[in-house]
Amino acid sequence: MNQLTYDLRVIWACARKEIKSAFTERIGTILGIVLPVNFLVLFSLFALNGGLAPTAVVMADTGPLAQQFYQAMARAHSFRLQIAGAQPAQALLQTGKIVAVVTIPANFDSSLEAGQPVQLGVQINNLNTDFTNDIRRAVPLSISSFYAQAFPRLVNVTADEHDLWPQDTDYIPYLTVSILVIALMMGGLLQSGTASAGEWEKATIKELLLSPASRWAIMVGKMLGSFLMGLMSTTLVLAVLVLVVGVWPLHWAEVIGFSLLTLLIFTAYGTLLGTVLKQRQAFIALAFATSLPLFFISGAFGPVSFAHIPLIEFLAKIFPVYYAIVLQQHAFHGFDLNTLGVGMNVLVLLGYALILIILAAIALRRTTVSS
Amino acid sequence: MTTQTPVSLNPTNAAASTGAPAIELIELTKIFGHFTAVDHLSLTVRPGEIFGLLGPNGSGKTTTINMLSGLSKPTSGQVKVLGYDVRHQTQQVRQILGSVPQETALYEELSAWTNMDFHADLFGIPTAEKKQRITAMLELVQLLDRKDEAVQTFSGGMKRRLALGRALLHDPKLIYLDEPTLGVDVQARRVIWDYILALRDQGKTVLITTNYLEEAEALCERLAIIDHGKLIAVDTPAHLKQTYGGRVVELETAHPLTSLDVLRAIPGVLDIAADGVHLTINTTGADHVVSQVVNHVSQAEELRNIAIREPALEEIFLRLTGKALRD
Repeated sequence: MNQLTYDLRVIWACARKEIKSAFTERIGTILGIVLPVNFLVLFSLFALNGGLAPTAVVMADTGPLAQQFYQAMARAHSFRLQIAGAQPAQALLQTGKIVAVVTIPANFDSSLEAGQPVQLGVQINNLNTDFTNDIRRAVPLSISSFYAQAFPRLVNVTADEHDLWPQDTDYIPYLTVSILVIALMMGGLLQSGTASAGEWEKATIKELLLSPASRWAIMVGKMLGSFLMGLMSTTLVLAVLVLVVGVWPLHWAEVIGFSLLTLLIFTAYGTLLGTVLKQRQAFIALAFATSLPLFFISGAFGPVSFAHIPLIEFLAKIFPVYYAIVLQQHAFHGFDLNTLGVGMNVLVLLGYALILIILAAIALRRTTVSS
Repeated sequence: MTTQTPVSLNPTNAAASTGAPAIELIELTKIFGHFTAVDHLSLTVRPGEIFGLLGPNGSGKTTTINMLSGLSKPTSGQVKVLGYDVRHQTQQVRQILGSVPQETALYEELSAWTNMDFHADLFGIPTAEKKQRITAMLELVQLLDRKDEAVQTFSGGMKRRLALGRALLHDPKLIYLDEPTLGVDVQARRVIWDYILALRDQGKTVLITTNYLEEAEALCERLAIIDHGKLIAVDTPAHLKQTYGGRVVELETAHPLTSLDVLRAIPGVLDIAADGVHLTINTTGADHVVSQVVNHVSQAEELRNIAIREPALEEIFLRLTGKALRD
């Protein structure tokens, strides 16, 4: 058997062993699936609950202008509206089921037609500043919008909007990309890290290190096994995003290519951390402590550049999560979130992959058993 | 016990130097920070012998073995295995070395067969021979009927046997066993001893580290006693007893002796342990010392019983290192 054949045999044997072990000790796989799906559910709930302020509208006047005003409120993208009588609306406000009550007075239409001022009643449950400010912004917005529709002659200032992208992207589809990236990150990281640290904890590392196989081949085999397991968990998450959430990527080939590259980076990073730390508990703690903050500052909820905090922008750009999100946003929605271009972003990720693989190999190569 | 199916040597095995010592440690030293774990240790193990490394916990046995297998790099000195320099010819050494680490290093979540199969791939055992050799080894260690069961369901003795079978799978010339019967019950220990003795009959060199003197006496043709990383003595168990043992005189008197000072003053008396009417006196072994001891005690008290015996290895160890083996 020549050296190459032997190395390939060792690589495949280590990969198969990793996969078999992962199927019996499923912590990495489970976390790799559960965590991103949990994030998706949590963020979606946050979006659903936090996006629109539940508001009751008391229609004391049901004339055409009052109706038009109600429609203006509905178009403001800030309210979850329901029409209610005065007393039920008060009850809803008192019991904390709505944030505000907007009362369209009985003289709304007649006053406006007579050119008289009208006062809308606005009651706010101001225990949450976020919602309170939503109401404070959205009611004047609705008034402007109503005037632009009902009395265009009186409105001399209008917005001339030009959109950068052909379509608007909702919060959930934007977030989908981040969920895929966190699935790739946690899938690769946890799978490979727990597998590597586990070899030390269970002392099975001696079986590997006492063999004549090259440490490169062992490491590549272990990484391949973890990579395939990570791929399995990520595919499940991607299936949820596409089939359940309903987000269809613009460029499938890019999604696959960028996903494989990202998974490779975090598989190598996990192998490196697991080999250095040698304890699963310490590894998991460090993996969560470093990866999740990085994920959140790397443009998970919106482009990093929108933050206008130079330190965060600087930190985000040090780590590969940022570039992975940029690339996946391009693959899913066609966005270019930085000025590097797709090619350069890919090169940056390839650089990370190469460096981390080399570092992981060095860590294993330099490994000795102290006693 | 089932006999081992003959297996072909791989090319690296065949290349091992003929006539070279199985193991040669030359001024081997390992320092961790300010702690010297192995201190200029020099030893030679002959091909085909069962050699024991004895020492209390922390004496440097495992560190020595780790350097022997290339798991740990020596601070200074040299290790040769069948003529190969471990530091520069690590791969060749690992081809001819079979290891049974203290922790067994088995993948407990996997089956016995999968563990063996993985080992076969790691050691490049020809695919055509793999199945036959795994079957032979599992049969040898009497685990063939449990081949598909996860190792975590095995007893401690079964795990040791499996680890031994796995170490033999690639037909090594030298096998080291680190505490081979640690945590194993008495019956399983006997079975493992039989396997180890059978290895010698197959011409293999066996190096064992052990905390059990009984085990060392039963298995080893030669023993090295190490403490604080230094070689204290190396010889056959019988010779060690002769050289360092002398004789032990055990006496029983009618009443306890009031003073032991006179006995201690006799030239050739090494130490005395008194427990009521029972006295255990270690001597250098010369006849006149034994007779002087017996004379003195019989003058001081009525003697009920006299026994003269060789010292146990435990007592020699205690004398050489100043501590019991499992300290």
